Amino acid sequence: MSFIEVRNLQKSFGSLEVLKDISFDVEQNDVLAIIGPSGSGKSTMLRSLIQLEQVGGGSILVDGDYLVNNGVYTSPADSKKINAKMGMVFQQFNLFPHLTVKQNLELAPKLVKKEKAKEYSNRAIELLDKVGLASKADEFPSRLSGGQKQRVAIARALMMNPEILLFDEPTSALDPQLTKEVLHVMKNLAEEHMTMIVVTHEMEFASSVANRVIFMDDGMIVESGSPDEIFKTPKEQRTKQFLNYEMNE
Amino acid sequence: MTYEYFMSMLIPMLEGAKATVLLFVLAIVLSIPLGFLLTLAVRSSIKPISFLAQTYIYVMRGTPLLLQLLFFVFGLPLLPVIGEYLVLDRFVAATLAFILNYAAYFAEIFRGGLLSIDKGQYEASQVLGLSKWQTTVRVILPQMFRVTLPPIANESVSLVKDTALLYAVAVPELLHYAQTVVNRDFTIIPFFIAAGIYLLIAFGLTVVFKYLERKLQYD
Repeated sequence: MSFIEVRNLQKSFGSLEVLKDISFDVEQNDVLAIIGPSGSGKSTMLRSLIQLEQVGGGSILVDGDYLVNNGVYTSPADSKKINAKMGMVFQQFNLFPHLTVKQNLELAPKLVKKEKAKEYSNRAIELLDKVGLASKADEFPSRLSGGQKQRVAIARALMMNPEILLFDEPTSALDPQLTKEVLHVMKNLAEEHMTMIVVTHEMEFASSVANRVIFMDDGMIVESGSPDEIFKTPKEQRTKQFLNYEMNE
Repeated sequence: MTYEYFMSMLIPMLEGAKATVLLFVLAIVLSIPLGFLLTLAVRSSIKPISFLAQTYIYVMRGTPLLLQLLFFVFGLPLLPVIGEYLVLDRFVAATLAFILNYAAYFAEIFRGGLLSIDKGQYEASQVLGLSKWQTTVRVILPQMFRVTLPPIANESVSLVKDTALLYAVAVPELLHYAQTVVNRDFTIIPFFIAAGIYLLIAFGLTVVFKYLERKLQYD
């Protein structure tokens, strides 16, 4: 059984269908890149997995438990347990501006997991070190660059020991230099076999770090496969068009 | 003007200033939490609660504070049936009017503060597993409070000056004593002293709020 199984996912905003019959699997240790033009539904799809969006139909199975089964959500208590297996990193970082970097990391372990201060404090320092920001522990987020903020956000998500990390265009708000440092951290995570789903416009990252790529357009999965299959020998016309356009950017 | 004469003016006025300050403190301490509850009521998903809260704010902001004061002090006892139970001490009735009036303004300030908070803050809290209560108390309120400090400071200074409306419902306070001396001695000096005391209170508030703003600064 796959770690995540998505079947026939549907969602509409009013009369606009944004997800049309989406199905895919994610295995443990997968790094799945989701690419596609703006408005193709890839962010909505990702956000549905962690219940930031309600879907209209279909099923999401996470680690053997249904978050949604044929359009019916499980109880809030159960969905909370399921969501806790996932961490999320946002395009706009969404750090808590009134807390220092270290406090940002510590808030959830303290409040949600009721961990001991020593435990979460040590882990916070460890993870900040891992993303290269141990020296910024006591700074407020407003004093950090975008790349640093995103690395803090990744560390914050890791504090909850998720089994899978969801990235929603993590570098789209960053310039190329800062993008590099964030991708570097993500690459390290991939090498440590962190399971990840990454919605991205970084074709280079998708082709070199991901082991599977999904191309979405107009609310549907047009094509999926290994990076080589998608980037070197795409079958679908729409995939070719999109890649041509992206590569010539 | 002798020192003795000056003190003979100042001391009753300071006595009056006590009522001014007491009203101010009661009104600010009670109207801020009440205003916040009103904000929550306005945002409630239960329609009748939201509607009532909105109507309340509309009425309190849409009618003069002086009218409300007169109503609470002199009007309540005239209500049929329940009126006889509503004969309150004038100071108490007036304080009640101030609290209820300022709560409406604070509610609007807090509403604006909540609107200024990015929805990403709620989403980040949700994916980290924080409960609604934890999100509100640990993430949203601290940011809202920081954003709303300047308008709260502004309202506080307004409140200090509005306490002079007690004059109209014959509760002795700072301005009342000043006016008494002006009439008695035919001198304008007490008005200047009163102005000085109001300015002093306003200055104190400014210092306190500046301190709070610096203390809560995170950018």
